[in-house]
Amino acid sequence: QKEVTGTIKDEAGTLLPGVNISEKGTSNGTVSDFDGNFTISVEENAVLVFSYLGFQAQEIEVSGKSVLNVVMANDQEALSEVVVIGYGAIERDKISSSVSTVEGEELTKVTASNPAESLQGKAAGVQVLSGGGNPGASPQILVRGITSNNGTQPLIVLDGVPLAQGTSLNFLNPNDIKNFQILKDASASAIYGSRASNGVVLITTKRGAAGKPTINFDFSQGFQRLEKINVANADEYIQVMNLRRTNDGSAPIYDQADYNTSTDWWDETIENFAPVTNLNLRASGGSENIKYAASVSYFKQESNYSKGFYEKVTARFNTDFQISDKISIKQDINPRVESYGNTPNVLYNVLRIDPLTPVYLPQDERTGNIFSIYEGSNNQVPNPVGSIARLFNETKFFGLMSNTQFNYEIIDGLNFNSQLGLNINHARQDVFNPTFFTTPNEQRQINNVTRRVDENFNYVWNNTINYTQDFGKHYLNVLGGVLFDSQTYNYVSAYREELPSDENPDLRYIDAAAGEGVSVGGNEAVETIFSGIFRGIYTYDDRYFFTGTIRADESSKFAEGNRLGVFPSVSVAWDVDSEEFFNVDFINNLRFKAGYGQIGNQNIDRNGQFFSIGTGNYVFGGSRVVSNYLSQFGNPALQWETVEDKNVGLTMAIFDNALDFSVEYYEKTSQDLLFNVELPNYTGIPGLVAQNVGSFESKGWDIQVGYNKTWGDFDMDLNMNVSTNQSKAVALAPGNEQLFGQNREDLGNRFIKITELGRTVGLFYGFETDGIFQNQTEINAHSSENGQLIQPDAQPGDLKFVDTNNDGVLNDDDLTTIGNPFPDFYGGFTANMSYKDFDFSMQWYGSFGNDVFNYPRTFMNAGTQDVNIAAGTLGRVWTPENPSAEFPRLTLNDRNGNYQRPSSLFIEDASYLRLRNVQFGYNLDIKGFQKFRVYVSGQNLFTITDYSGFDPEVSAGGDIINDFGIDYARYPVSKTYLVGLNLTL
Amino acid sequence: RQQLDDYFSTAENSELFVNSIYSQVNGESWYQIEFFRQICEMSTDDNWAGNTEQPRPDITGIAAYNVFPGSSYINSFWEFTYIGITRANIALERIPEVEMDEDLKSRLLAEARFLRAWYYFDLVRNFGGVPIVTTYTELLEPEIRDVTRSSEDEVYDYVESELELAIPDLPLKSEYAANDLGRATRGAAQTLLAKAYLYREKWPEARDMAAQVIQSGQYQLEPNFADIHSVNNHHGVESIFEVEMITNFQFTDIGGTISTTSGSRTDQGWGWCVPSSDLENAFLEEGDEVRLRSTIIKHGEPVFGDPEVESFDAAPTRNKSGRINRKAYIPIADRESPYMIGQHALPVIRFRLADVILIHAEAAYFSGNEQAALESLRQIRERVSLDTDMSLSGVELRDAIWKERRLELALEQQRLYDLRRQRVNGMPRIASILGPNGSFVEYNTEESTDPFETTNLGEAQNKGALFDPSVHMLWPIPPEEIQLSRGNITQNPGY
Repeated sequence: QKEVTGTIKDEAGTLLPGVNISEKGTSNGTVSDFDGNFTISVEENAVLVFSYLGFQAQEIEVSGKSVLNVVMANDQEALSEVVVIGYGAIERDKISSSVSTVEGEELTKVTASNPAESLQGKAAGVQVLSGGGNPGASPQILVRGITSNNGTQPLIVLDGVPLAQGTSLNFLNPNDIKNFQILKDASASAIYGSRASNGVVLITTKRGAAGKPTINFDFSQGFQRLEKINVANADEYIQVMNLRRTNDGSAPIYDQADYNTSTDWWDETIENFAPVTNLNLRASGGSENIKYAASVSYFKQESNYSKGFYEKVTARFNTDFQISDKISIKQDINPRVESYGNTPNVLYNVLRIDPLTPVYLPQDERTGNIFSIYEGSNNQVPNPVGSIARLFNETKFFGLMSNTQFNYEIIDGLNFNSQLGLNINHARQDVFNPTFFTTPNEQRQINNVTRRVDENFNYVWNNTINYTQDFGKHYLNVLGGVLFDSQTYNYVSAYREELPSDENPDLRYIDAAAGEGVSVGGNEAVETIFSGIFRGIYTYDDRYFFTGTIRADESSKFAEGNRLGVFPSVSVAWDVDSEEFFNVDFINNLRFKAGYGQIGNQNIDRNGQFFSIGTGNYVFGGSRVVSNYLSQFGNPALQWETVEDKNVGLTMAIFDNALDFSVEYYEKTSQDLLFNVELPNYTGIPGLVAQNVGSFESKGWDIQVGYNKTWGDFDMDLNMNVSTNQSKAVALAPGNEQLFGQNREDLGNRFIKITELGRTVGLFYGFETDGIFQNQTEINAHSSENGQLIQPDAQPGDLKFVDTNNDGVLNDDDLTTIGNPFPDFYGGFTANMSYKDFDFSMQWYGSFGNDVFNYPRTFMNAGTQDVNIAAGTLGRVWTPENPSAEFPRLTLNDRNGNYQRPSSLFIEDASYLRLRNVQFGYNLDIKGFQKFRVYVSGQNLFTITDYSGFDPEVSAGGDIINDFGIDYARYPVSKTYLVGLNLTL
Repeated sequence: RQQLDDYFSTAENSELFVNSIYSQVNGESWYQIEFFRQICEMSTDDNWAGNTEQPRPDITGIAAYNVFPGSSYINSFWEFTYIGITRANIALERIPEVEMDEDLKSRLLAEARFLRAWYYFDLVRNFGGVPIVTTYTELLEPEIRDVTRSSEDEVYDYVESELELAIPDLPLKSEYAANDLGRATRGAAQTLLAKAYLYREKWPEARDMAAQVIQSGQYQLEPNFADIHSVNNHHGVESIFEVEMITNFQFTDIGGTISTTSGSRTDQGWGWCVPSSDLENAFLEEGDEVRLRSTIIKHGEPVFGDPEVESFDAAPTRNKSGRINRKAYIPIADRESPYMIGQHALPVIRFRLADVILIHAEAAYFSGNEQAALESLRQIRERVSLDTDMSLSGVELRDAIWKERRLELALEQQRLYDLRRQRVNGMPRIASILGPNGSFVEYNTEESTDPFETTNLGEAQNKGALFDPSVHMLWPIPPEEIQLSRGNITQNPGY
């Protein structure tokens, strides 16, 4: 035995900590320390293997030397990293399909309850649609546009375990994440079969490495602010409301002298500072035989109202056991506790309630309980301060995930792997609605309490056999497996009325209630998928790459006979730079790739096939009788939605790998598209009917450019990505040529979203406007061929609507598409820079060419239903003196329907460029700490946009086709200011 | 959940399914069906929209004939009425296959058939010709997306033929067990048929069908007018078809709503649809104190039949007319506690004998039988202690019958349809009452000195001035339906 010591540096002379050093042919090994030093005892004639991510591994014979100073060369391919793919891992350069990787380090720069938020702008082709700024909101991830209307969220796979559709990533601690791999095309995702059509996000958590323990501690504390929205004060409100009436020849409604109140409802409801706290502690380390990574984290975010918060504690213990040369086991445990209070959804009412109403009743008029001290508004908008006071809706959640992986190496290169993933969770929601009286329309005479308990148990059992071998220039990797996935949902809920007290929080439980109003619910649903998979990867001479996969799924979601789906894929790649004829010096890497595959979507209501019977009540002879009716119209013919996907791409690295570039083009076409169709009401069919209605096509480009360069102590890393996408309906079944969404009562019970054959899905639908009539002559000129007025009820100052079909009449036949909520392109720009101990990073996100249906415009310059208006409305509405106004005249009767029709008046271009995050850090040199970094950061500090609403990044809510792009003044994305600390021991 | 294909296995299930067809007669909540009927009431000379606190163009606009076609109330009336029709279609298709007592089976089928006719009648009188869907099976075919509107006559013909089929199989009211009261009776079906004939001016048929109901011996006039609309009088002697309401705090869909929607805003009501001074004047001109006091409650006056209220607060600054519908009012002592919407035990009487007697009077008059008409008129007036001039004839008799209909059935959701169908020299009466020169509009804008209506201008005095007979004889088809049908369902002219 001999002791060998040494120092490891990179080519620039930087000391490299964490390099793996192992004695070839043995399990003996170590890791270089923080200063790049190592010590190892080996045989005299040993061969040492030095390996480190991003560097070429090298083997050095000891040959009796006791000091070995090693220079690690950058891996010219920079691709030899091993990454996870479905049901396995492989060197990155062997992948021929479309995969984007986002490193965990990037995710922790943004402090957010949900790691998905940090994905925004980080990967081409991956759109992250905000879920709003309220605590615990979950954004939606959209991978390469829309080929489906049902659950467009990608499948999330955590360390090999597929999670239930729609699982919020809130449960994850961003500090636990090693990376996200986004499988964007079918050749990558088809191995996930019937759940892959919206893309697949593989999340890998950090694992321990052999060596001395590393302790990390991270802390950040900040606050969030909302940008104030200015609405009219009492004076302006009175003027507008009176003008609405006098313009129509009615008497004014308010006399300024009668009112001395001017309530600023924003100030009454919104708090200036909403704190956010994030704490994280982790430890990792181990020996060659046992490695561990353990963490515990705490996160709390409060809303900008007096109610509403999100709080979580998560822990994770990832362990790796090398039992023998043949057998290894990984065991991960991830318990978590979440608690959240619903954030009031009152912003809409804050904007609408009149400023003449005081918040509270005068002391001497208060008669009821503490929930009845609020004044009823003059314009019948519920008092938002009272609404907040009465909101009691909290949920406590406990979850436990366990992930066990057993690996047995049968012979060299042949591995059997069995994985058991368990996911158990329990949620308890408590709702209390107190008795109160504000007005006859705004009151509750009997209080009530609801408790709902959900218990879900999901498990996944994957058994795979994998064979990997090099045969000279041939490389082969074959995988086969049998998978079973089961999800059980279970709930019980209870509702009771008449609690003895409204004000005593200790009495808000079911047993305390005494009333006759009782309602209980309970249900259990089980969904299972049984699957077989096969994949073959073959490469020749690191020049030609081929992957083929096939998966068969049998899903319980469909009626018998329609349960089996088979999903094949194939992809190829060609590394041109490895060819002998290729000798362009400055190009380090040049690769072409192409893929094809079929993937499925089974995200439909599990009851969609059934014709269900509902229960109601009627009265005969003085007593209640039970009634039964058809409550859901089913469709037993429902089938898989299948997506056919084609992808071609090019990646390139030039100038010593400093600049890398990739561009990809894709086309996805869905067949048997699942859509919940609303049939005409004359059918008497309740609700929506799930149908396979046709085919959508989604196509676009993903472009990514990275630049990475070091000049002495200055290091710069820039990354930009741009994506385009267009999703069109290319076939629709007879009777479904027009698919509608978003029926709006106040715009005439019309749908404002339409999907039509040959056009982009989910366009805005309404009347086209052509300015404002300035005088009667213009109104008269807007007439049919035979001189009939198209808008006979119009007056000067009213909107001119376009008679799009030129039939001389303005009616619903003139409805047309008036906007597109989807951007022409969107993208992100990230810059990370460091100089000595200083570091700086910023991240921009932008969306360009997208329209928003600005719903508040339907009232904020009109006073429809006497709701409050935006400050400055008088200067924005048409009057003879203000002929160039943007908005039509004020009118009470609105005989022209200016504000009773969906129209282009409400559509705006909402392109924006937003500074998502900016961070400035400094690393203090303190003895005993490997790292002692302090930083300040700001999120969403400013946004460049022409959009006149509150936030151009409108939250998605609901389904993408029918709900996206409509601004309902939900809780906007807020500005966050933070200070933080990162310590490493 | 139980599935439709397994459901129709027993007589009991068949009966429970038929029960659900009844649910849409008034809707399961206030807004689905019933409030639209109140809006129709508001659109006449008997009522104002009323509530001057809530600016609601989808309510007040319709009442003022500045009609907003997209009003949810029009939309949901259409939607839920068709839900009722589909329930009937399912019952009529599935129940014949169920093994059960044949008498019960034919009764259940006749109930469903009556209700389906009820729904189509309610559609045709509001919208004109509508799509006719008569089976459940056709809903499963793609062609269901291509249905278009039938003509008004086709819908009425269908209603009539269905009722003719149902009538023989329906029991008399007295044949039902006490716990089945409220189910469709032969008298109810005959009344509906008489009304359909009346609307189509099939005078002899209307007269004869009304006479059959009157002579059936199943009904008599309530001796005391005030007892007709009483919270304590369920399935009374005069009641032919009613939606019974009970207080049941466990279920909110089987109690009444109108007492709240049309109650005073100081009496936990919403103040919609309040009686006009024009209606009050009609009673006063006739010297009809008995029916006036049981029809209108006036601000500052005691409430007839409620000893606890000496001076009623109708909130005249928040209520256009300072008047409240007495027929929907529940005396304090009879109120459930807590007193709230969806829990009122006041039945909603859809058909009663007085209506049938007046149909008989009108139909007899128009079929040339003035004596029979006068006799029926006298019966109605006698109950409320009014003399009848038995020498009336010609248009005077006609006008007397029409006026009697207004007074007797005031606020019972009949007025709009009566004014639309009753014609003078071929012109609908509604066009002489409403419209820019209508008598009601002129009264309010020029003559009225009513202390409440002329001072609360939150609802404009010229209500009805925008009425246009070329448009407003029908309501608009809901725009949603036009969109969902891809334009196969066309809009009514003028909307």
